[in-house]
Amino acid sequence: MNFNFSFAIEIVPRVLEGIGNTVMIAIISFIGAAALGLFWELLRRSHATVRPVVQFVIDAIRSTPALVQIYFLFFVLPYYGVTLPALLVGSFGLSFYYSGYMSEVFKAGIDAVPAGQSEAAQSLGLSWADMIRFVILPQMLRNVAAPLGAYSISILKSTPLLAVISVPELLGSALDVASDTYRYAEPMFDVGVLFLAMSLVAVAGITQLERRLGLTAPSH
Amino acid sequence: MSFFAILRSIYEGFGITAAVATLGLLFAIPFAVIAGVLQHFATGPLRWIVTAVIEFWRSSSVIVLLYAFYYTLPAFGIFLSGITVGAMVLGFNIGGYGSQSVRAALQSLNKGQREAGLALGLSRFDVLRLIELPQAITAMFPTFINQAIQLIKGTTLVSLIALTDMTFRAKQISELGYNPVGIYSALALSYLILCYPVTIFGRHVERRFATRKAR
Repeated sequence: MNFNFSFAIEIVPRVLEGIGNTVMIAIISFIGAAALGLFWELLRRSHATVRPVVQFVIDAIRSTPALVQIYFLFFVLPYYGVTLPALLVGSFGLSFYYSGYMSEVFKAGIDAVPAGQSEAAQSLGLSWADMIRFVILPQMLRNVAAPLGAYSISILKSTPLLAVISVPELLGSALDVASDTYRYAEPMFDVGVLFLAMSLVAVAGITQLERRLGLTAPSH
Repeated sequence: MSFFAILRSIYEGFGITAAVATLGLLFAIPFAVIAGVLQHFATGPLRWIVTAVIEFWRSSSVIVLLYAFYYTLPAFGIFLSGITVGAMVLGFNIGGYGSQSVRAALQSLNKGQREAGLALGLSRFDVLRLIELPQAITAMFPTFINQAIQLIKGTTLVSLIALTDMTFRAKQISELGYNPVGIYSALALSYLILCYPVTIFGRHVERRFATRKAR
């Protein structure tokens, strides 16, 4: 056995250098995924003719791996002359991937708002946009809060995918340490423990938040 | 290289993709059933241990686990092939999620089912085996399909530990000539062909289950 625990502890500060990027990627991707997911869902509901098209897009997003979508954006965008920082491209990739799932969350959240609400809004003469903004969205947000919380953790756990396009987040900086020192076991062990800890803390935090807001996960 | 030639070349990695997905299911299904049943029945320290094992597999990041196991196990003197490590990590991760569906399905069963079984003189184990599990497994079928899709998509990660799956093939082809649009469209299309039918089937099953429950 040649696993060196003191070396594993010694390199923790170097591995931790990536934590800022990890958190930033998670936040950007979560906001992007929620916004795009809501957009898909509103588009899907808007007209009967676009519905099947949007449905296909959502299913296609959900039927291709996140890694493939990230590679696609990272290698294809420059071909069309769009060069963005890898961190941003990767965050867009994660946003895109999770938007497919978010759209389903919003669909369930909107479906759970009683039909009488939109009927009442229409009979009061509200425009479609006003109905969404003032009647449906506020009620829907409460329904989607718990599943969105769960996806925020999934997104956090997917951020190390960006290491493959050389974004220096946690896994990326651990891989850097590994290639500097020719020792892979310890940095990979560290990053495994760090991610497990982060995700358990995030789960505990979100559970607390849900309890405080009096939310419970939908039963389906 | 024509688009079709790229597709055919990516297809050379299909064997590994399929092998990791299939072996992954062989890890996932028994783990989900055993861990879910144990978590449902166990009490005291055993329950903490089972919960800790489940949480380890489902709360960790899969890609990080894959790297960690692939590089750390040999340092502890455990040598496994890339396929085994890939299938085990992906399988146990999905199995961890699956165990929660098994447990939830067992918990949501009507208590009368168990009582009737016991009243008929069946042993507790027979009640679980013949009455509770069959119903629980039927109830979680839609979730199972979704998790199978997650597993198939997850197999792309084994390209990072140098297994020649479809994604790895695409990376190899991209070194032969600059054609990112062709190669990565073909790669996305390959996974779409594989997973889209399952996604549609899953949606269909979910709808049928929803109407059956409503009745």
